[in-house]
Amino acid sequence: MKQIAIIAVLAGIAALLPLAIGDSPYFIGVLISVLMMAALSSAWNILGGYAGQYSFGHAAYFGAGAYTTMILISKFNFNPLVSMVAGIIVACIIALITGSIVFRLRGHYFGLASIAVAEIVRLSALNFDFTGGAQGILLSDVSLWGIDLNSKIPFYYGMLLVLVFTLSIALNLRKSKTGYYLQAIREDQDAAASLGINLSFYKNKALLISAGLTSVLGSLYAVYIRFIDTTAVLDLRLSIEIILTAIIGGVGTVWGPVLGAVLLVPLAEMLRSNVIGDVLVKQGIVSENSGLGVFLKGNLAHAHVLVYGIITVLCILYMPKGILGLFRRKK
Amino acid sequence: MIQHLLHINHVSKHFGGNVAVSDISFSVDEKQIFGLIGPNGAGKTTLFNCISGFYPVTSGHIIFDNKTINNLRPDEVCHMGMARTWQRVKPLGSLTVLENVMIGAFSITSATREAEDIAIEQLGSVGLTDYAQKTAGSLSIGLKKKLELARVLATHPKMLLLDEICGGLNHTETETILDIIREVRNKGATIVFIEHDMKAVTAICDWIVVLNSGEKLAEGTPEEITGNPEVIAAYLGGGYNA
Repeated sequence: MKQIAIIAVLAGIAALLPLAIGDSPYFIGVLISVLMMAALSSAWNILGGYAGQYSFGHAAYFGAGAYTTMILISKFNFNPLVSMVAGIIVACIIALITGSIVFRLRGHYFGLASIAVAEIVRLSALNFDFTGGAQGILLSDVSLWGIDLNSKIPFYYGMLLVLVFTLSIALNLRKSKTGYYLQAIREDQDAAASLGINLSFYKNKALLISAGLTSVLGSLYAVYIRFIDTTAVLDLRLSIEIILTAIIGGVGTVWGPVLGAVLLVPLAEMLRSNVIGDVLVKQGIVSENSGLGVFLKGNLAHAHVLVYGIITVLCILYMPKGILGLFRRKK
Repeated sequence: MIQHLLHINHVSKHFGGNVAVSDISFSVDEKQIFGLIGPNGAGKTTLFNCISGFYPVTSGHIIFDNKTINNLRPDEVCHMGMARTWQRVKPLGSLTVLENVMIGAFSITSATREAEDIAIEQLGSVGLTDYAQKTAGSLSIGLKKKLELARVLATHPKMLLLDEICGGLNHTETETILDIIREVRNKGATIVFIEHDMKAVTAICDWIVVLNSGEKLAEGTPEEITGNPEVIAAYLGGGYNA
């Protein structure tokens, strides 16, 4: 109950945030990215954190949602919500095919196969005509219930809603039979099976929940950006960012992915927009025309992946349970 | 009339050309404490893995509660009322002791509250109540064995397969475990018991089957087994009578 109250309070604060910072599209955009990554990482965490089945191909489910939605809206003029539901179905079908085949195997096979499936989906999208191929799909106009979808605000609240929904599921699951069963599978599959746990059923269940939620975020993202191609929604880089966010925040916890997103997305954004380099120059720490200054200006913007990597290495070495793990007392 | 709860009918298990279990037959009656003994490599654990659904048998039939269970998965076997422990304990390390036992209890209920009640009761019955909130990985080996026991008891099994549940325990710990096992039998469960500790086996078992090199060497009451020269030669060694 306490945790549900925390979700409600944080959601309340987040809901008021746009009013506080005004209608600055840039900041709203960054906040939307934070909410989206928090939700993506939380959804991944249900499978990867609770059940210990590391998927390296969650971009496939994100892309399935995004592509299904965009195709249905742009070519068949579907209602965005209906096409979102269609996206969930497509993502779940991909998940079910993957899971029913690969979950029979143990160890790292699922991780490897998840990359393979994601690559199959990506290459298919790149080469078929109905997905727009390398050009992607552009959506010129979209409407829902007369809401102004040219503003970012509706998408901010949409993302927030999906995040709250995802967190509620993660929280409820944790103290339920399914949640305990997933954790048992993570800890020891033989012990789990001998205690009456149908391994492939529960792994598939976790994958379906995770994939379904991920596809909703893909649909939302697609309509928000109004342009998708394989690099934007099906790239391996996206899958890896989702995992890193969870690992750095705290795998297997409800709040770890949220914490990871809150820290990492703004950090990446600051590096990308060169805020850090500008601050260093402005403070006079680095002279703009010195060798270092020129180097930072030219390269820091591309460094966010490198910084992610360094943080991940430090995390694995010094806090294998993530940032949240540091605050948990050992029983 | 006494019923056979478990019937092993000409069961063999080959790993490639390696015969681990060869044409074994025996029956376990309801409410029996049944000992399965034999030297290392005799095929005891392999047989357990076959019975509990982890290995498919090469030939033969395993009949439990009047149903052939050869082709069932481990979880299906568990739901039929047969639960097993592991020789090398398998605690769900990062979960608490209570949660470990709750996971066992979830095989008979879907409600978290009810599972918790069952778990608390089972922790009491093996004397782990004080450790309920500890992480399972932090327990000593003796307590981990008790946890294994509490966890399978929470599935309310008709039959318990215990794989060296006393292995690595000292004398008092063994006595406690044996008392718990007797208590479980008195409540109506049947127990199949793999054990190396001959004192424990002869103290508690009603009937014993001796395996050697994958074959059945002898079966009988503890007195018959300890008096059987073939068994002494193959397994107990000359020193046991001294």
